Amino acid sequence: MNAANAGMGGVVMTNVTKRFVTPTGAAMTAIRDINLTVEPGQFCAIVGPTGCGKSTTLTLAAGLERPSAGTVAVSGKQVDGITRGASFVFQTDALLPWKPVEANVALGPVFRGVAKREALQQARDWLKVVGLSGFEKHFPHQLSGGMRKRVSLAAALINEPSMLLMDEPFSALDVQTRAIMSNELLSLWEKSRPSVMFVTHDLEEAIALADKVVVITAGPGTVKAVFEVDLPRPRGAVQEIRFAPRFLELYQQIWQSLKEEVERAYRQQVSSNLNRGVA
Amino acid sequence: MTTMSAATATPLAGDEQAITSAARERLRRRRIQVLIAQLAVAVVVLGTWQLGTMIGAIDPFFFGSPLGIVMRLVDWFANGTAYGSFWEQIGTTLEEALLGFVFGVGGGIVVGVLLGEVPFLADVFSPYIKIVNALPRIVLGSIFVMWLGLGLPSKVLLAAVLVFFVVFFNAFQGVRSVDRNLVANARILGASRLQVVQHVVFPSAMTWIIASLHVALGFSIIGAIVGEFLGAQNGLGLVIATAQNTFDANGVFGAMLVIGLLALGAEALMSIIENRLLAWRPKSSADSNVAGV
Repeated sequence: MNAANAGMGGVVMTNVTKRFVTPTGAAMTAIRDINLTVEPGQFCAIVGPTGCGKSTTLTLAAGLERPSAGTVAVSGKQVDGITRGASFVFQTDALLPWKPVEANVALGPVFRGVAKREALQQARDWLKVVGLSGFEKHFPHQLSGGMRKRVSLAAALINEPSMLLMDEPFSALDVQTRAIMSNELLSLWEKSRPSVMFVTHDLEEAIALADKVVVITAGPGTVKAVFEVDLPRPRGAVQEIRFAPRFLELYQQIWQSLKEEVERAYRQQVSSNLNRGVA
Repeated sequence: MTTMSAATATPLAGDEQAITSAARERLRRRRIQVLIAQLAVAVVVLGTWQLGTMIGAIDPFFFGSPLGIVMRLVDWFANGTAYGSFWEQIGTTLEEALLGFVFGVGGGIVVGVLLGEVPFLADVFSPYIKIVNALPRIVLGSIFVMWLGLGLPSKVLLAAVLVFFVVFFNAFQGVRSVDRNLVANARILGASRLQVVQHVVFPSAMTWIIASLHVALGFSIIGAIVGEFLGAQNGLGLVIATAQNTFDANGVFGAMLVIGLLALGAEALMSIIENRLLAWRPKSSADSNVAGV
């Protein structure tokens, strides 16, 4: 797996701006002039206030959207369709409720033309990896939130992606489950080392997981600062690393930078609500 | 400690059993009570009707009578109607309704998914669909009889048109309300447009489509019978029309009863199919709700 992914999965965003046109014709700038590099195999967390366009950067990297200006390149190739070798994990689990768990995980290989029997075998292997043996025939609604997240992870990893895009994947989980899933994610990631873009608004989660934390400004978002996280790997349990002195130091630094943006975003929101007469 | 808990557990388990068996007994008794009450309602209504006609309070010429209806049905089944055996009439109507249902559902799904998937087509056709939908479509039956004659095709077409719109609107809405995340995820996993429709859009719209099938089934029977009213050589609609023209109230009620039973049977079959198709759904709280416990 490592050999196949060598040099793959790096993301380079150059002066990327994305505007959306609302149905009424008004233009809304989600992100502007983003310059961002994720090295192959790097775990990059993206933090920023609500509505700053964090998710938009992911959809651009996935090739679901085109930038209005600037260029996005993944694995050295400019993105001009759905990015190959990418997998996405959404905040709400994107599982098909009418398919049993194993068929959900098998979707990736099936779409790529693998025979169904072979795809299901791969799916069962991956379910074993994420600790869900015995639940192959269950439907998603019969599983807990944490288990569904594991299924989502298996479904994303079965394609052996060189780039993993995660949009607040654990924010819908309770705190304990979230810690368990973070550990699980790290150990899975260390096995195949895809590059990761991990959007979150939980700064602790970002530092505990990532090699690099990118702070995005209040909307329209642009890169405010980039922090290298030099905590050693393997990190071990995320619940424990957050008491390490270096962790706290980094947390202070990054929070200083993030705090201003969070406050600015909050003021923006209040004033726009005032203008609309809501507040 | 162990012995103590074991000692207390045995009587507890006994209690548990007593409680569940008592609850089960209560449930059973309640079910019997409901059944008796239901039978009583039928007996009272039919009895009053029958008695009323016998003492002359209800004119059997206009309102028929339960016994008269039964006699009429027995006569039909035994001796047939003026245009062939009664079974043949039932068969004709069922065939028309079923064919209309199949064509209507098929057309509704295809057009609904197509317009739902291609917004341009939807924008172009939406005013026309609204216009056609605003028409009382039953009157189309007259045109169809003119075009296709008194035989089977005109009824099938009328039933299909009635069914089509119900299914179409649901299929269209179903496709439009597919979770965008599911589509995005499938695309990232490498699905082609056709695979997205096959694996995500269509199954997702299926819940909406299936919900429309019950109504569609009713419409297909209505279409077949109204079509037969408007002009036919056989079928239950013709049986009713004939009975009406000869002031045979028992005949009208009798045919009505048969149609009602057919519709009920079809409905039950539909429910079975629906449960098979939607087996993946979480059991709704209404299903698991146990009365009286």
